[in-house]
Amino acid sequence: MALKFLVVDDSVTMRRIVANSLKAIGYEAFVEAGDGKEALTKLSGDDSINFVITDWNMPEVSGLELVKSIRSTDKFAKLPILMVTTRGLKEDIVEALQARVNNYIVKPFTPQILREKIDQILASA
Amino acid sequence: MENHSNMDQVFEKLGELKSFFVFGQKVVPVIQSIIDFMRDVVPLMEYVNNSIQESASKIPKAASQINSVTNATEMATSEILDIVDAMSMDLSKIKNELADLKNGFFNQRVALESYGNQHPNLNGQFEALQSGLSIDELETKVVSLEEIVKKIEGDSNNITLSLQVQDITSQQLASVNHLIQSVQKRLSKLMNDLSKKGPVDVSELEQEDENTRSATFNPDARYEKSPDKQELANELFNTGQKTSQDEIDKLFAK
Repeated sequence: MALKFLVVDDSVTMRRIVANSLKAIGYEAFVEAGDGKEALTKLSGDDSINFVITDWNMPEVSGLELVKSIRSTDKFAKLPILMVTTRGLKEDIVEALQARVNNYIVKPFTPQILREKIDQILASA
Repeated sequence: MENHSNMDQVFEKLGELKSFFVFGQKVVPVIQSIIDFMRDVVPLMEYVNNSIQESASKIPKAASQINSVTNATEMATSEILDIVDAMSMDLSKIKNELADLKNGFFNQRVALESYGNQHPNLNGQFEALQSGLSIDELETKVVSLEEIVKKIEGDSNNITLSLQVQDITSQQLASVNHLIQSVQKRLSKLMNDLSKKGPVDVSELEQEDENTRSATFNPDARYEKSPDKQELANELFNTGQKTSQDEIDKLFAK
């Protein structure tokens, strides 16, 4: 199945870095959103999106709220979600796990870690 | 007897009056020193008040400068990423050209061997031709160039990795900005409440601080290449995903 990623981050720099990293590991299809609110709009308007990579700290709707919102709908209950964030405290990671994020990357990250986490998520799907 | 009693009362009152005067004599210097103290303190208080007002007026500029720094670093990072992207495209073209060269050398070698097989009696001219074309040597150079291109690709990946520092430091700056703005709000509220001579109530500000604390930035953001935090995340996710959601919730229930 061809993957189309939704990359959600309020930092333009980080969106580009995630996008470049995806290209570096062989994924070309992605759309971008600057916060959780925009992400929800894009997600509801594009059925071809089948993987979400999101930051945590964002204005309007945070990454965690985005995850909870996605998980609250039947349509996206099993949509793969990878969180890429600066938050590395145990309680943060546990909170993400409780919100049913599929996997978690602490910034800064390498394309290799990104590939590893995407592969893990796809393997467990 | 009655006159004697009255006189006692008069002397008693005189005694009290004397004590009062003695007390007054002791108190007057204290009052005088309080007045002197107030005389010294009032200008100081005015100075402090002016300083607070001046500091409060400078805070918006400080906050704005921090935002300018964030915007400037974001712009510079974007420019670097543009260059890295352009480099990646050039490297990709070079890689394709080198692959074409390798294919060309392979085809030349095949053609040359075929020519040699078709003309076995060239009296050493074939070896001379083979040596003159230096295909092996050129191919070795191409392989060496491919290694260099690979290294440059790795370096450009490392540049991209290092540029994540911009996002991380911008979150730290946003945190500092938030603190500065909180101080400004508190100072403004303090000045406002003092002018009203009422109690200073900061509970509203504290609630606001709590609400915005983690909204758009992580105050604990750090640029660390140490794998410790990622390993912690890996461990928790590996454990957590083998467990049912109900068990996770119970396990981490506060």
